Amino acid sequence: MISNIEIALNQDLRDAEGSALIKKADAYFGISIEAARCVHIVTIESDLDQDGLEKARAEIFTNPVTQVSSLSPLDIEFDWCIWIGFRPGVKDNAGATAAEAIKDVLGKTFTPDEGIYTSKRYCLKGADLTRTDVEKVAAEILSNHIIQQFRVFHKDEWDKKTGADVRPAKVVLNHEPCCNTVDIDTDETLARISDERNLALNPRDIPVIREYFLDEKVLADRKEVGLSKPTDVELEYISQARSDHCNHNTFNGIFRYTDVATGETVEEVSLFKTYIQKPTLELKEKKDWVVSVLWDNAGVGTFDDENNYVVTGETHNSPSNMEAYGGAITGIVGVYRDPMGTGLGSKLFMGSFGYCVGDVNYDGPLRPPLHPRRLLDGVIEGVKDGGNKSGVPTTFGQTLFDPGYMGKALVFVTALGIMPKTVAGKPSHEKTTSPGELIIMSGGRVGKDGIHGVTASSESFNENTPAGHVQIGDPYTQKKMHDFLLVCRDEGLITFITDNGGGGLSSSVGESAMLSNGCEVWLEKVPLKYEGLDMWEIWISESQERMTIAIKPENLDRFMALSDLHEVESTVIGQYTDSGKLHIKYNGETCAYVDMDLLDKGFPAWEFDAVWTPPATRGLTEPVISTPKDFNGILTGMLARPNICSKEWIIRQYDHEVQGGSVVKPLVGVNHNIPSDASVTRPVLTSEKGLAFSQSLLPWYSKIDAYHMMTCSIDEAVRRLIAVGGSFDHIGGLDNFCWPNIGFDPKTNPDGKFKAAQLVRACRALKDTCMAYGIPLLSGKDSMYVDGHLEGAYGERTKVSALETVQISATSVIDDVTKCVTLEPKISGDLVYVVGATGDELGASEYYEMFGKTGLNVPKVDFNGSKVVYKALEKAIDKELLASCHAVARGGIGVHLAVMSMAGGLGMDIDLEAVPVKAAGLPSEKILFSESAGRFILTVAPENKETFEKLCKGLACACIGTVTDTHDRLVITNGGQTITDLPVADLGTAFNKTFGEMI
Amino acid sequence: MSTVKALILTGFGLNCDNETALAFEKAGAEAHRVHINTLVAGEEKLADYHILAFGGGFSWGDDHGAGVIQALKLKNNIGKDLLDFVAEGKLVIGICNGFQALVNLGLLPGLDNDYTARSVAITYNDCGNFRDQWVRLVPNPDSPCVFTKGLETVDYPVRHGEGKVVAAPEVVKTLVDNNQVVFRYADGEGKPAKGAFPANPNGAVEDIAGFCDPTGRVFGLMPHPEAYNHFTNHPDWPRAKEAAKRQGKVPGEDVVTGIRLFENGVNYIKETFF
Repeated sequence: MISNIEIALNQDLRDAEGSALIKKADAYFGISIEAARCVHIVTIESDLDQDGLEKARAEIFTNPVTQVSSLSPLDIEFDWCIWIGFRPGVKDNAGATAAEAIKDVLGKTFTPDEGIYTSKRYCLKGADLTRTDVEKVAAEILSNHIIQQFRVFHKDEWDKKTGADVRPAKVVLNHEPCCNTVDIDTDETLARISDERNLALNPRDIPVIREYFLDEKVLADRKEVGLSKPTDVELEYISQARSDHCNHNTFNGIFRYTDVATGETVEEVSLFKTYIQKPTLELKEKKDWVVSVLWDNAGVGTFDDENNYVVTGETHNSPSNMEAYGGAITGIVGVYRDPMGTGLGSKLFMGSFGYCVGDVNYDGPLRPPLHPRRLLDGVIEGVKDGGNKSGVPTTFGQTLFDPGYMGKALVFVTALGIMPKTVAGKPSHEKTTSPGELIIMSGGRVGKDGIHGVTASSESFNENTPAGHVQIGDPYTQKKMHDFLLVCRDEGLITFITDNGGGGLSSSVGESAMLSNGCEVWLEKVPLKYEGLDMWEIWISESQERMTIAIKPENLDRFMALSDLHEVESTVIGQYTDSGKLHIKYNGETCAYVDMDLLDKGFPAWEFDAVWTPPATRGLTEPVISTPKDFNGILTGMLARPNICSKEWIIRQYDHEVQGGSVVKPLVGVNHNIPSDASVTRPVLTSEKGLAFSQSLLPWYSKIDAYHMMTCSIDEAVRRLIAVGGSFDHIGGLDNFCWPNIGFDPKTNPDGKFKAAQLVRACRALKDTCMAYGIPLLSGKDSMYVDGHLEGAYGERTKVSALETVQISATSVIDDVTKCVTLEPKISGDLVYVVGATGDELGASEYYEMFGKTGLNVPKVDFNGSKVVYKALEKAIDKELLASCHAVARGGIGVHLAVMSMAGGLGMDIDLEAVPVKAAGLPSEKILFSESAGRFILTVAPENKETFEKLCKGLACACIGTVTDTHDRLVITNGGQTITDLPVADLGTAFNKTFGEMI
Repeated sequence: MSTVKALILTGFGLNCDNETALAFEKAGAEAHRVHINTLVAGEEKLADYHILAFGGGFSWGDDHGAGVIQALKLKNNIGKDLLDFVAEGKLVIGICNGFQALVNLGLLPGLDNDYTARSVAITYNDCGNFRDQWVRLVPNPDSPCVFTKGLETVDYPVRHGEGKVVAAPEVVKTLVDNNQVVFRYADGEGKPAKGAFPANPNGAVEDIAGFCDPTGRVFGLMPHPEAYNHFTNHPDWPRAKEAAKRQGKVPGEDVVTGIRLFENGVNYIKETFF
């Protein structure tokens, strides 16, 4: 029987969901809704009788103080009603917890034919609302057709008895699971089948695959298990393992790099090996705090004598561009599995975000799948639910805007964990699988999720087709699993653990079986969300919230008992062997039998042509702009720009202090609203040690040269750590590349060779900077196709590519958190210093961008000079000489003086003439808005003046003014002439107004 | 026995158990993190403890109202043990999600000695969103609450999407008249916020941030005292430290953190039970 329970807030209570809808409809589309109430609907398909349903309604789903509910449609007046429900197969987290509650309260367990589904309807009042308006609200605010469906009812169409008449959104496949073989008689045949089946095999891999399966020895081996031609399971396995996602073919590819200016050509054999692996391994030898790098799900560094920390970062771009909420929540919950699957498993203690999106006010003709404004809303909310419900503080984050990200927006998510150095007497960062150990899958169940990415088109949907290609992360299920696995780890039950992400079991089991040199998998044991999946689908499904774990058979009972206690589903799905074979069975029949070393069989490297034309040769020049007359206007204008202004509304939605270790928060200053340079967290509450974390994104510099984009990004991340008290000798790096397509094609990607050269240059810069500063790369990832083909006004499609972007994250360990420094000036009378020299470096700066210019003089990092500055400041903070310290970043000294006065709530008297410069004669606007790297603004108590200046002797360091409470203005002069004179309150108004309406 | 034993619930999406346990340890108790199912299975007994802490988190994802399913699960399985625990004069504290669970269990407000009635709800913030911020709280000196004895104005963080305390006018009046209202959201000067955002971050009636039962032994609050376990948790600590330094004081020395609240509970048990 199908029953619908409807629940709504009492009429006299503020309906926050309704209010939010009214606000958005007006702000986004100018649609005026007079009143909106939201009704939650719980649809139950079961054999529960009326008493059971009534009990569920009253006890589980209704709050007697705030809500009304009914087993028949609630009689709420409306002009229009919109019903929104999930498509079949989309993860319905609330439906799942409802089933848990009913099981507990009524003792009712749901059979596979039964289930609980949640949906909503919105009752709208508005005299002028038309069906077109209401459908727009339904389609473009309330739902996304990829995961949801909606129906619109006019009040005259509404039957008060049947209401929205919600039916269960259940998946019915009616499909007998099967395993097929594939013809490989010619390369063309296999290429055609690869195309038909979406295998995405690289044409150059095809001969290698055929050669393997046609090998006589291989054929003889296969005959023994009843196989000859390759099966779909086997080809899917190869396709996953050889994908750019899993195999990093781009970074391991061959680049022929030509510099047009010199005419020289160099062959780069593997960017990864040359510029990431080699320097990192060299640095690992020199830095004894580096514990484990380059092989596991995340890098591992020393935190203190007893604990190691774990760090990794990811992007989740493509899914977030289709379904922003689902993509982002899946992204953050997904990256949180990496530390859980590093070593023997770590406990998560912080995360961060980075969003790069198009102009949120874009009103031009191009039509991205989601408007940047809607995309940002969804992404923010996804990370909110994913992060907060994981119980992990989101302590840092950045959001930036550039038209290039309308083609594809970027969603960066980063995760840090902590683990004891030894677990049950063994080093926690080591793990392996051994023959005889059991393969266990824990966590969620397997459905058609994420198979072959977004291949299904909206037209092919019918009411029971699973819309599983876009997923919705389930932090609740994962949090239970997180807690459960830590107990297992501490009891010494786990010998190997890894997460199921891209490639699903195919990757996690395939890779972990390399260590024991073989495995046998029993696919029929894998718990499914619904029946009817083919073997290959079970094998490569990317259903979320799953870990693959190896345990010794003698520990199985204990492991399962703990799994039951924590209400986590765990299943033995196979066994590790040393047979040298990946052996997959389904009900005893073999459906895959390939050599574990198949992937080493000489698959060809990818190849790229890279052609570098230097910026001046490309025709870039400095713009000609005279010194402005209205500096007050320039400064407030800069502060209001989207890439500078306050994004407090995003940060406040994220719990940044759960776990109780917050030291330097993401927002600081007297009004707690200024973004800090870096966050500092105590992951071990009984210790005074802290983990400092910062990130940097400076993609604009790629407009001139991605080499300097990279050096400046790393320098900024390091500078931010130093500013809060980080240690220069312990800086861990994390590189997340997001690059537009670098494969040249004269028609579809004519500038591919240039973008490839930019990638080579960025990698060279990565190595140069890491070696100069001694930064091992603890972890890193790449996302190589950040382009979109957007439909325009005439049915044409234009390719929009993102800027060449790298997010750099950096970590440092602070011995005594009570010595940490924040950026706000604290005491009147303190002296203001600038450390680091300012040059004529406004190329691709925020200032030039305000005038629509790019320029040529991109900031360049002076590694040796900066190194000395960083060490001096580290010492100054350790000696507690600094009252405040702030890394100068985007917008230069002008913007960051303003940021400091807002943060301190105090006046400042500044003389630009004193600012140390690289060459004399810089006009005021260049001193104020140059983005030269390696600079800080800081304040020092007068009694520490001498000691501080002695420590900085020989450095570009000068006192440029004082902090004051005799007035509340930022007063900047240059050689006696007043440049700006603005009340701090006015700076605040400018800084906060751009997104001031958002909460 | 002379050890104060505190039980901190874990599991099912709860997430403040480690720092809540630490807060009790710092306050002098022996803290045990216990999975809800361990209690349900009877492998651990409430009777062996003096203080029961319902901590923060997202139990069951908060999908059907914050704290609702947690309350149901406990009521169904160990409902009587909970009532016995309260009847024995022991202490119960609910923080954030735990506070939401307490009102859904009916352990709060406990009017007329009825510890099962749901007469108060904690619902969606008026601002329409989850919010992390520090709030100033002014305690009610006339409240019977044992956890806040002797406390002056305090700052703790709130981190919630559903923190607005609502109830029928007569229930609110009873809470106020009985001095069951323990903490009110206050402005910078320590005066009640009178509903003004963001000093009152969620629109709670009467600026109620926390209230207790008539005995003062069952206490729930939205802000997180356990997240103020070290003086560097406070957002203004770097400025306070610099000011202290200039006055020749040791930074952090005079700071009263959220641990004081837990100490009050632990001391109450020592005085009453030992």
